[in-house]
Amino acid sequence: MNSVIPVLDPASPQAEAINDLFLQVLLISAVVFAIVSGLILIAISRGRRRDTQPDQNFGSERSEIFWMIGPVVIVIWLVAISAHLIITLNAIPEVAPDGKINFDDVDLIVTGHQWWWEVKYPKSGVITANEIYLPADKDKKFRVLVTSADVIHSFWVAQLGPKIDAIPGRDNFIWLQASKPGSYQGRCSEYCGAQHAWMNFKVYAVTKEEFQQWEASEKQATEQPRLLSPLAAAGKKYFFQATCPRCHTVQGTAADATIGPDLTHFARRKEIGAGVIENTPANLALWLKNPQALKPGCKMPDFKLSETNLKQLVAYLETLK
Amino acid sequence: MSSYFDLTSSLWKWDSPIWLLVLTLTGMYFLLQRSTSGKRGAAFSVAMLALTLAYISPIGVLSDGYLFSAHVVQHLLLLLIIPLFLLLSLSESAMESLFSRPFMNRLGSVMAVPFLGWLSGLGVMWFWHIPSFCNASTVNYSLGIFRDATFLLAGLAFWWPVFSPVKRYHLNPSVAVAYLFSACLACTLLGIYITFTVISVCPAFASPVDRIGILNLLYDQGLNPATDQRLGGLLMWVPPCSLYVTAIMVVLKRWYADIETVPTSQTTANPGSLREAHQ
Amino acid sequence: MTTGSVEESQLTMLEPQPTSTRMLDWVSTLDHKRIGIMYILTAVFYLAVGGFEALLMRIQLAFPNNTFLSPEMFNQLFTMHGTTMVFLVGMPVLTGFANYFVPLMIGARDVAFPRLNSFGFWMFFFGAALLHFSFLTGSAPNAGWFSYVPLSSKAYSSLQGVDYWIIGLLIMGIGSVSGAINIFATIINLRAPGMSLQRVPLFVWMMLMQAILIILALPALNSALAMLLIDRWLGSAFFDPTRGGSAVLWQHYFWIFGHPEVYILILPGFGMISEVIPVFSRKPIYGYTFIAASSVAIVLLGYGVWAHHMFAVGLGMYADIFFAVGSLLIAIPTGIKVFNWTATLWGGEIKFNTSLHFAIAFLLQFVIGGLTGIMFAAVPIDWQLTDTYFVVAHFHYVLIGGLVFALFSAAYYWFPKMTGRMLNERIGILQFWLWVLGFNMTFMVQHFLGMMGMPRRVYTYADNPGWALLNGIATLGAVFMAVGTLVFLWNIFKSLHSGKIAGDNPWDAFTLEWATTSPPPPENFPVIPEVKSRRPVWDINHPEYADWKKEKTPEDKGRRGNLAKIAAWSFIASEAVFFLLLLVAYVVFNTKLMAPVGEASSPETLSDVTSSVLDVKRTGIFSLFLITSSLTFWVAERFLKAGKKSAFVFSLGLTILLGIIFLGGQVWEYTGLLSNGISINSDLFSATFFTVTGFHGIHVTAGVIALFVMLLMGLKGNLSSEKTHVFGAVGVYWHFVDVVWIAVFGIIYLGLLQ
Repeated sequence: MNSVIPVLDPASPQAEAINDLFLQVLLISAVVFAIVSGLILIAISRGRRRDTQPDQNFGSERSEIFWMIGPVVIVIWLVAISAHLIITLNAIPEVAPDGKINFDDVDLIVTGHQWWWEVKYPKSGVITANEIYLPADKDKKFRVLVTSADVIHSFWVAQLGPKIDAIPGRDNFIWLQASKPGSYQGRCSEYCGAQHAWMNFKVYAVTKEEFQQWEASEKQATEQPRLLSPLAAAGKKYFFQATCPRCHTVQGTAADATIGPDLTHFARRKEIGAGVIENTPANLALWLKNPQALKPGCKMPDFKLSETNLKQLVAYLETLK
Repeated sequence: MSSYFDLTSSLWKWDSPIWLLVLTLTGMYFLLQRSTSGKRGAAFSVAMLALTLAYISPIGVLSDGYLFSAHVVQHLLLLLIIPLFLLLSLSESAMESLFSRPFMNRLGSVMAVPFLGWLSGLGVMWFWHIPSFCNASTVNYSLGIFRDATFLLAGLAFWWPVFSPVKRYHLNPSVAVAYLFSACLACTLLGIYITFTVISVCPAFASPVDRIGILNLLYDQGLNPATDQRLGGLLMWVPPCSLYVTAIMVVLKRWYADIETVPTSQTTANPGSLREAHQ
Repeated sequence: MTTGSVEESQLTMLEPQPTSTRMLDWVSTLDHKRIGIMYILTAVFYLAVGGFEALLMRIQLAFPNNTFLSPEMFNQLFTMHGTTMVFLVGMPVLTGFANYFVPLMIGARDVAFPRLNSFGFWMFFFGAALLHFSFLTGSAPNAGWFSYVPLSSKAYSSLQGVDYWIIGLLIMGIGSVSGAINIFATIINLRAPGMSLQRVPLFVWMMLMQAILIILALPALNSALAMLLIDRWLGSAFFDPTRGGSAVLWQHYFWIFGHPEVYILILPGFGMISEVIPVFSRKPIYGYTFIAASSVAIVLLGYGVWAHHMFAVGLGMYADIFFAVGSLLIAIPTGIKVFNWTATLWGGEIKFNTSLHFAIAFLLQFVIGGLTGIMFAAVPIDWQLTDTYFVVAHFHYVLIGGLVFALFSAAYYWFPKMTGRMLNERIGILQFWLWVLGFNMTFMVQHFLGMMGMPRRVYTYADNPGWALLNGIATLGAVFMAVGTLVFLWNIFKSLHSGKIAGDNPWDAFTLEWATTSPPPPENFPVIPEVKSRRPVWDINHPEYADWKKEKTPEDKGRRGNLAKIAAWSFIASEAVFFLLLLVAYVVFNTKLMAPVGEASSPETLSDVTSSVLDVKRTGIFSLFLITSSLTFWVAERFLKAGKKSAFVFSLGLTILLGIIFLGGQVWEYTGLLSNGISINSDLFSATFFTVTGFHGIHVTAGVIALFVMLLMGLKGNLSSEKTHVFGAVGVYWHFVDVVWIAVFGIIYLGLLQ
């Protein structure tokens, strides 16, 4: 489903508008380039054949002004259309006039961490990581607050429109919207340290019903005690004996740290390590065995787990659906 | 909510006393400048039109306590546009004879000191945007008139060293470029300050007295005080700087065309120089 | 004094006696041509280093999920690649060409300040060495060439790499500014008779513009670096958002420097092209005044568009629109230039040699880079494509496709003058095609990679459709460029030994450097030709078509400034920008309720300590001492001019005393604050307060030392009344320090603007 050239394959009204502008400027550029290169090539091919001293022409004000008209008109036109787009997109919603942010108005809070994305739905209280679920809707725009917990990151889903930097101490806003269902690749596009390359996320645009189901189940599972297999039960025990809860949260348990991604519904996620590998039990075992091998420099250390503990942990984590 | 017609008519202030000034100036202009060229006449018309519009058009009405950004537009018209075009409208020969008198000559030379022109031009810009002064001049009518008068005079003083009709008062081109560029820097700083500060530079505009009932309309258009101030700051920043850069280009053009003023004898014999001098 | 203020007798004094070793000769040289060559050679060395770093990165990126380099190594390499190419290659190679050719082109015998010139070179040399020394500590800088905070702060870059980066850049910055002051003074003061400023070759004009840019833009970087260094070493919180600092301020300051830096790099390239194209079209440059004036416009506009690097920061709709307008406006003067170059070629008798090949490639590639630049100025497109490989492609089209090709063009054009031998044309054409192919292979595909979603600065990528292929092509292109560079070096070695002898003017070129031997003698010209137009050598060689017969240009009025004053004023202009930005930082961090729009401004992020801890009255009295010292200095200057020695010594001594009393007051104040537990790392007020007043104090101290030297000279009778201009230059500095203090006192102590 992922597009090969996402910038040219817009899936939201904003991205479409930008794409139109881009194509228009591209066309203007192509014409300008064709004219300039054509003139240069003609001048050279003619000039190479000349072997008499050319007219010593110092230039004329009139022709300068004549040739300036083109660039001036283009510049005015570009100012007009890009300013118009900046305003109509309202792509950076302004902060409320009184400078205070009304968190009730925010649909989504995305926080960049080195090197993963924390995703919160403040209205329903759902917390997840590296994936964003949206109802695909031509009319509903999601108001997203983008910020950072450490260094500067940049939130970018090419098919859905403009990027915005995630800056610590600052609340930026962006509209997120998908016209049609699908999964859209998102990436961090501001260099943020060792693992900037693996700070991906995906936006899943689903139907309204699917979204409601998803949201309900994300909320629901936190409250339900589960019946665990012996292996998984041992894994759970080990999880809390080991240092896991110092960084991770599993809602409904004692683990409530927020340094690493929330693991409450970990087993439902499609990828591990912000896009490094697919989330399968085998890959999870690979990850837990040594995260530093898959994502060197990431904040999760190599715990040198024994084979048994590894299996137990995988079994436990796989129950977190 | 008034009708569209009422609204447009209430946004124009036809009974503004500015007419008196415009008429006086026009009279004086034609008295002093009997023989005026088309260009100069046009420059004078632009100056008068700008002066009129600054007060009777919505710019004048809105800048009177409603919109900070309109106030900035008025301010820029008074400080930069009107004095500039007034200077351009004066004929060189008439002014040459006027400024050949000892007293006038001294006045002209003093005004040509770049430091003074710079300080008055940029000084009024900064001074009248210190919050308390800005507020007082908006609330108090006569202080407002005084402020506008200082704008006009400071504008004349600012442009004098660059565009004075009497050439000998012109600054050396390199100094003129530095003069204009540093002016751009100074209004950039002011513009940035006004744009990004959260305090109200001119509190009178933060809570306007709604005299003609258009406040809600303005707010509906998104022109709330914060946006208004930011817009004003950017207007304080970009248009003047563009004007200064254009003026720098004019100075450069003058400099590159500076051919005939050479005192050396070798060029006078040159046949090309006459033709060039005419251009 | 026919050629400016450096007379022959002085020159022979300056040049050390020949020593037994040639090496020492070079190291101790003050000759502008030798220093120029040393700049160029050092830059070529770092070009190889930076190119090698790029090649390693391209190998890592040739395949998806490659493990050739560790992420840590990759990040160090791209940081060093960017820093190296900008500060260790781009700037010095241009300074090198300027050093070599500006005096020749304006008919001077040397630069204005040969010692300052040598100092500038060695600052650059050791700064560069220090920067690369960081590799030996095991952690080269790794926060990117613009070192965005907080990534570059101690919390996220705890190793020493960033410290080396800061110190290296500060040292090289001192070298660059002194080099720029030197070039500026040389062009203003040492032009040959007849060479009015309206007649200088366009390369010289562009170097003048570049010098102004360096003088006024580098201090912005220095102020940012100073704050970052204080953050890292003394624990202040300028850039620490958790303690109320700002993560965005660094970006503003960096790009206030960084955008003019782009023009610092490309304007000399424009200048080179403007020399090469006319000579090989056998025509004068078309529209000289328009090219010259449009570069002034670029310089001016260049200072006002820095935020177009920050459209994704979320500065707000209005700021975005206005910066977009400014950035798009730059397209007009740039378009004028391209038009004029094309018009110069038009109707010319084209000598299509290697130099012109590179110049034409420059034109076409620069136009592509310029057009993608216009795309970025249209803000919504920037929101999509910034920080992707599209932007990487864009600036490499400007800096390699533009600058590097201009440099090659200039190298082929000027090599005969520098060595007396021609470069081989056949090898040259081979190198040209290797570079054109390699360059466009590498960077054209990166436009597509950007549109395909590849962010810049990633050490690897997943096997997305198409990415491997395009990255492979890019890597292959880099190999082509590397081979092309080797071919170029081979050409140089071969030509040095067996190249055709060039003669004085192999191209029948137009400007003064061709009026002397190749290579030029130590003092450049046996006789300086008469300058009556913009092409003096053309006038001599083609008297029947002499320019001054057809096209009048403003005569030289013989006005030359005073060297000491010019140096003092340009230095002060630089310092003024530095203090201005520190004061802006003070206002930003200390105005209540004032925070950049969108920045959280909750009460706890505001300073705990405010200016209320300061004793305004006491400092006010000490300020009076400093201001009075300006007055006594002025009196001293009068006495010096009048030749009254004892009165001069007395009033100068009084000036020094007043300065020292002021410093004593500052020491008193600092002791008081420190004993109350208020130090630079307490909070934002104290950080900004100590930084601003501390830097001012350092300047006062330096001023007192300079005055003391003057006093000693006065006592010994070395300061004759003819040397008042030297004293006057010190005076400019001293008055400046006082003026800065008045601003500091007004803003910090009296709280104006708050």
